[in-house]
Amino acid sequence: MSHDLSEAELEVLVRDVATDPERWRHLVVHRQDERTYVELQRDDHVAVWLICWMDDHDTGYHDHDLSAGAVAVAAGAVREERLVLGGAPAARTAAAGESFTFGPADIHRVSHAGAEPAITVHAYSPPLWRMGAYEVLPTGELRRWSLSYAEELRPIGA
Amino acid sequence: MTPAHVKTFFINLIDKMLYSHPGMPATDVHQHLWPEPLLDLLAARSDAPRLRRRGAGWELEVAGEPAAPFDPRAHDPAARAALAQADEVERILVAPSSPLGIEALPDAQPLLDAFHDGVAALGEPFFAWGSIALASPDPAAVDALLATGAAGLCLPAQALAGPRRLDRFRAVLERLAARRAPLFVHPGPAPDAGGEQAPAWWPAMTSYVADMQAAWLAWATWGRPAHPELKVVWAMLAGGAPLHAERLAARGGPAAAVLDERAWFDVSSYGPRAVDAMLRVVGVDRLVLGSDRPVADPPPLSSLGPAVRHAVAHVNPAAVLSR
Repeated sequence: MSHDLSEAELEVLVRDVATDPERWRHLVVHRQDERTYVELQRDDHVAVWLICWMDDHDTGYHDHDLSAGAVAVAAGAVREERLVLGGAPAARTAAAGESFTFGPADIHRVSHAGAEPAITVHAYSPPLWRMGAYEVLPTGELRRWSLSYAEELRPIGA
Repeated sequence: MTPAHVKTFFINLIDKMLYSHPGMPATDVHQHLWPEPLLDLLAARSDAPRLRRRGAGWELEVAGEPAAPFDPRAHDPAARAALAQADEVERILVAPSSPLGIEALPDAQPLLDAFHDGVAALGEPFFAWGSIALASPDPAAVDALLATGAAGLCLPAQALAGPRRLDRFRAVLERLAARRAPLFVHPGPAPDAGGEQAPAWWPAMTSYVADMQAAWLAWATWGRPAHPELKVVWAMLAGGAPLHAERLAARGGPAAAVLDERAWFDVSSYGPRAVDAMLRVVGVDRLVLGSDRPVADPPPLSSLGPAVRHAVAHVNPAAVLSR
């Protein structure tokens, strides 16, 4: 890529990759204890990941610091929730063939939905670097933890 | 159990049988340790590089550098193994000390043999990066080194920093790639010590950095096209060469070379700021733990989080060393 991608461009990219299983079928690994990740593509402007989900895997609330992103569901389903202070989260479920996008300023969480293991394709532009992970205290206070992107995409115990 | 759970159970079972990496020990890919047979040979030499008794202690003489005090305790395997335990490191790759210039000596082989045999005799957690006499690069030497359990081959940066230099090692590098074994590029040989006024850190911040950058740029320009499959580990973040990718692009150079799935960069002597900057350019999959003990301590990377540590110490070295 010769430039950072817009959310619309990212969505086209992840839909293209998600509908081309030849690129990633051999990399699919579902684990009960965690999501599994493989970086499919990386250049100066975009990083594309394959993520495999099952059994209520959940990212927790997070942001992507400087990166916009898009997610296309290749199999199964995932649920996206946007954090709403003082109210229920704005939620939607994306099933196979569907996709959604987010900007750098959005705070969301993504979790596995349904009984079938899910496969999603994610693209981030510029490539994900730092992230914010949000902790909601029982008092309602919100805390932001600064994380390396590896914390999201390379969980411990692989 | 739903059908999906049954399916997942079998997927996981097959995954464990086919793809699991039970052997992903925490690995420090960059330490130096001079085993007893090498110390004996260095002490017996009459020219640099050599060890000399000075008073109650020892001095190390290296060509072009003032003699420096040498403490053999820094090379004590038991003490080093204890440090590894404290560092939570389970496997140590011991590199030849290329700045000594041993590989370039006309009588290099006995010293190299003393290094390889000495490290092999130590047993776990120590494994050697092999090294060869630079005067006569021989692919058969690669096979011999790997047969003794060497992790791969270590070459000094200066030996690779240009098209003709790379060409001298073409057959050696082809053999290494054919054996799926990695190359480790380390600064050396013969640093420019900066004259008598210069402090001890001078070469580490000048010639080491420049040599690693030149070797990386030569690799990007001529080495990688000639050896597309070879796995290469760069000491000290390749002198930060990939951090200059935008400048390289601005001058019309091969900036895309920073994105190389067969390259890894050890983090020796750097810390969270430089490592995080590097991670932004090349991604976390490309970084490996290297401490450069006993010259330096392992970099403090805890602020980058446990997942970075897991990738850098466990997962990525396993990828480097898988055959």
